[in-house]
Amino acid sequence: MATDILFYVLAALTLIFGALVVANPFSRNPVTSAMFLVLTIISMAGLFVLLHAFFLAAVQVLVYAGAVMVLFLFVIMLLDLKEEERRKIKLTGLVAGVVSVGAIVAIFVRSLLATKPSENLPAPTAVGDTATLGKMLFTNYLLPFEIVSILLLVAMVGVILLSKKDLK
Amino acid sequence: MNLSLMSLEISVVALGLVVLLADLWLPAERRRALGYVAAAALGLLLLQNLSGCCSCCVAGGDGTAFGGMFVQDGLSVFFKRFFLLAGALVLVLAVEFSDRIATGVSEYYSLIIFALAGMLFAASANDFAMLFVSIELITITFYILTSFTRGKVAALEAGVKYLILGALSSAFMVYGIALVWGTTGKFNFNELAQVAGNFTDNKVFLFGVVFILAGLGFKIAAFPFQMWTPDVYQGAPTPTTAFLAVGSKAAGFVLLLRFLFTAIPSVTAHWDKLLIIISGITILYGNLCAIPQRNLKRLLGYSSIAHAGYLLLGVAAMTSAGQSAVLYYLSGYLFTTLAAFTVIALVMRHLDSEDIAGLAGLNQRSPLLAATLTLAMVSLAGIPPLAGFFGKFLLLKAVIEQGAVNHGYYCLAFTALVGVVISLYYYFGVIRAIYWSKDAASREPILISTPMRVAIVGCIAGIFWLGVAPGAVLRLAESAVNALHCPGLALN
Repeated sequence: MATDILFYVLAALTLIFGALVVANPFSRNPVTSAMFLVLTIISMAGLFVLLHAFFLAAVQVLVYAGAVMVLFLFVIMLLDLKEEERRKIKLTGLVAGVVSVGAIVAIFVRSLLATKPSENLPAPTAVGDTATLGKMLFTNYLLPFEIVSILLLVAMVGVILLSKKDLK
Repeated sequence: MNLSLMSLEISVVALGLVVLLADLWLPAERRRALGYVAAAALGLLLLQNLSGCCSCCVAGGDGTAFGGMFVQDGLSVFFKRFFLLAGALVLVLAVEFSDRIATGVSEYYSLIIFALAGMLFAASANDFAMLFVSIELITITFYILTSFTRGKVAALEAGVKYLILGALSSAFMVYGIALVWGTTGKFNFNELAQVAGNFTDNKVFLFGVVFILAGLGFKIAAFPFQMWTPDVYQGAPTPTTAFLAVGSKAAGFVLLLRFLFTAIPSVTAHWDKLLIIISGITILYGNLCAIPQRNLKRLLGYSSIAHAGYLLLGVAAMTSAGQSAVLYYLSGYLFTTLAAFTVIALVMRHLDSEDIAGLAGLNQRSPLLAATLTLAMVSLAGIPPLAGFFGKFLLLKAVIEQGAVNHGYYCLAFTALVGVVISLYYYFGVIRAIYWSKDAASREPILISTPMRVAIVGCIAGIFWLGVAPGAVLRLAESAVNALHCPGLALN
């Protein structure tokens, strides 16, 4: 019961903070948006904890709320904030965005309502502690794990090439 | 587990690492030739694969590894050969292009090889984890390859567009995978196929499937996920564009075929209307938008959208005849597209933009290149006796055979014919620019290096061979698609 209440609280917080990231009525400062994004990510980490995915929750806070957001803030500080605050939002863009998001949400809600949750398979039981996850990565999912290592190498090479100062 | 099944992938990744490291010790002036070495190595791997002396490709060498995640069957072998050939030709093209790359020539080669490794993994992916990881390896490598000439604004713009739209489509796909896994609890395609029948009216499951299809649709540039294609094709360095047009599209198709016909055949069977509509609109969109283009790479971008539509004809037909026609068409498309981009890279060497007017006088400057581009255009348009004609013939035949089941197939075949007629106009516009333009900017003969000449002649031979003697490749394609329909073989 307590977890149910926690779930609804955290889910509501995630949605509210998420909405405040893109449409904050009080401030159009990108730094405020970024800070709300941190809050969104932290409430989402709470949802992962409720799913017993503890490792994912920790990574969510460490990597996304920590490292990635610092990067975001760096980029934001390099931008011209004044100009960003003055910029008008284009009506067509706004309408297109609202309509497409609304359409996806509508279809999803309808498909959720049309599906009885009890039918067919039960939801797979997730075991999310670090030891289990580590074992999975090095046994069942070894091959994708190794391919991701190539992917990281590629990304590293790419970052160096694309950000190196001098074009010799 | 059977690691020898993966010997090809391991060799290709090792080759990429060697090329990356060789840069440390090679003097700057010899780095350029590294591309030839890499292309030759890929050629050797291809020959070894064709001759079947490694254990993985002889007839009995089918099997799975890593708990069914990685599957080696006729389909994956066919596509692996396809990707190796494309990779080798693109590397030769990259050597030709290397003097226009300001920095990191050997990194360019090695990134091409890593993208190739991603495609090889995609050809064998039999599991959502492998599908996602291999697609990401391909796509992320292409983000870098696209903006490699970062001194050019167009390349940067193309890279940023590809990055944003690619990330969005990946997000859609992961969301879809999560929903499919959440409803079925299966990650493996064969296991999913056994239970998918129970979920044909589970809306959440279908929602997930649609999202996965959206992600794959982005890779193959099908309507309505085609927005990125023209800009990226135009802005990217020409070898990247060529590899994107051939390799990335084919990787999308092999994953699409496996997903639709191995993982969820019971759902696919109900979705003929969706596939028919997407295929028809893609053909019309690509062909109509190509008409006003003056930039040759942009024109080929739109034409590649149209060809994605033609290829979807074979998918929409949902018969093994249609699927083998897809494979056959892709083989023809490989030679034709690579030939066209090779000519573009050579002719447009000193020009800032790849305007069609730059082709003026090509006939006098280099009869070989003029003939190559003409053949490529004629084959893309689908005129006998070239590869494109026979491929289109097979695709249309497969669709019309299905017409008795659903009359929508007749409309689709008609749409495809209309598309072919429209495409004649702009393909012949290119040919007219080659032979009948008056004011040529330059009359210098174009020098072609020997490896380049070999690659061009190889492409021409391929175009003719597939058009005149289709038997061998067609038999290969037919046996390859058998793997899709007897997943029991992959389970043992």
